[in-house]
Amino acid sequence: MSDPILVLAHIDETSQINIGAREALGFAQNLSENTGRPVECGLIGADNSSATAEVTELGATKVYTIEDSLLARFSGDNMVSAAAHIVSSSGARIVLIGRHPSTLEFIPRLSRRIDGTCVMNVTRIETINEQYTEIEAAVYGGAARALYQIDSTSPVVVGLRPAAAEAPTPHPENSSDIVELNLELLADRVRVITEATADEGPRLENAEIVVSGGRGLQNAENFALVRELANLLKGMPGASRAIVDEYWAPPTEQIGLTGTTVAPALYVAAGISGASQHMAGCSNARLIVAINSDPDAPIFKYADVGIIDDCLAVLPELIELLR
Amino acid sequence: MHILVAAKQVLDPDGINSYALWGRLEVSEDGLGFNTGATVPQIINAYDEQAMEAALQIAEVQEGTRVTAVTVGSDTAPDVLKRCYAMGAENTIHVHDDEKQSGNPFRISQILATVAKNLGDVDLILCGRQGSDYDQGAVPAILSEDLGMPFITMASQINFDEQTQSLHVDVVTPNGPETLACNLPAVVAVSNEIGQPRYPSSRRMIQSRRNPPTVFRADELLPGPATEKMSIKLLTVPEVQGNCEIIEGVDPKEKAKHLLQILRERGDLNV
Repeated sequence: MSDPILVLAHIDETSQINIGAREALGFAQNLSENTGRPVECGLIGADNSSATAEVTELGATKVYTIEDSLLARFSGDNMVSAAAHIVSSSGARIVLIGRHPSTLEFIPRLSRRIDGTCVMNVTRIETINEQYTEIEAAVYGGAARALYQIDSTSPVVVGLRPAAAEAPTPHPENSSDIVELNLELLADRVRVITEATADEGPRLENAEIVVSGGRGLQNAENFALVRELANLLKGMPGASRAIVDEYWAPPTEQIGLTGTTVAPALYVAAGISGASQHMAGCSNARLIVAINSDPDAPIFKYADVGIIDDCLAVLPELIELLR
Repeated sequence: MHILVAAKQVLDPDGINSYALWGRLEVSEDGLGFNTGATVPQIINAYDEQAMEAALQIAEVQEGTRVTAVTVGSDTAPDVLKRCYAMGAENTIHVHDDEKQSGNPFRISQILATVAKNLGDVDLILCGRQGSDYDQGAVPAILSEDLGMPFITMASQINFDEQTQSLHVDVVTPNGPETLACNLPAVVAVSNEIGQPRYPSSRRMIQSRRNPPTVFRADELLPGPATEKMSIKLLTVPEVQGNCEIIEGVDPKEKAKHLLQILRERGDLNV
């Protein structure tokens, strides 16, 4: 019964673990307290030394690391091979992976490679016994939950829903066994022709304040109001899927199930109705402020503070007051 | 080029969403569906329709391209094939499978892999990035493993580059757009950024009746007894607790003022 809970993370050129990996370590710790399984971590990247220290402080008792310069950028073929090697070395049957842009590729491919199973958007793990594991996932855009029953005899790769758990408190006194693994890597079958240059600036998923706009903005020009308010509040702008599909805002600013998930201290939703697909990306905000002219808009069910009025009338007033 | 498009039938997510928004979404007695009756129609998964659109865009440029659409599902599933045919698919394939199995992406992938192998000449498999029912998005990547093909997801534009005889795929990433390339055969999953799918032609809609899909049973295509390593046991609907403080004010200016006051008192503003 003491097979470990394994958290897997890709270490990019920042050499740090991302928010998803921290959440996965928190999820693993909760699971470890309930089941007595140790928490282990597998790191795959070009330089894992500082990340190794970080995950040790966050509760990993054993750290598997695979380092190669070819792994600095997420490469599906090599990531899957490396991760499969770590899973088989650890003997883990529960593998946790937190939010990361690559999960749509990484998790299902890995699960197939290790002849296991996978579940995405996982909210909690309900039961683990020798026969089966019961795992709950958010489905139907967050409107429902599905309880998956999984055969326990092979490993299950669990893709955690963003903010499924909080990052654990770091303990600098922790220590861990470090296992360096080697693997022969190959050039990925997918070649990069033009690479997106990672913006050095602040990232939406880490923003403390987010101001988001939806269809209530009426047209593309009015998204400038959202940008300006976000700017004045020293936050970042976000958008609903509906207006991204209309090209009022770029896909990088989309918040929701198929966009970015945010958990800011303050989330201002202007002219957003509150579809579950959108709320999946922001419901973990500490305070949600809704501005909507429809008093029956579902967003008011999720909001802590609401203004029932046209966002096109309220946003300019807020901007005026903050200038 | 022969393109295979995998499409799935789902309950209209907008319909499910409306029920959820008004707090009226209820799980049916068997625990695996909803009591929405005929008010929420079964439609083609929107991302899969976009995969179909991507295939037709390639066919417009690439002479001699054939598009085949396949679906795995029960009795109503062929409706999505009619739509694919009306959009421009030449051939359609229906793999009849028990609805209860639809939550097992490994089974669906195995079925699709067998279909692709049996066709023998498939160069490119296009799928939607995820189904709007279970939101797992697992089938396309598993399929690429089952078939040993390269995989690209979040595609917003797909071109075949004559010079290098390879596929060039624009993808959406959190850092902005990128262009990736791979050799064929490959599996590519399409996102909504591909653009609005074309409307099916009414002429082909009528013709689709005379061109029914080729039908297989899932157990004919699965190698030996199917692996049943996972299934959905139960759906539930989470409660949303409404507890919103509505800000009063005679006009937008006063409401805005009150809001900032509340946020400042809470310490949520640093400006």
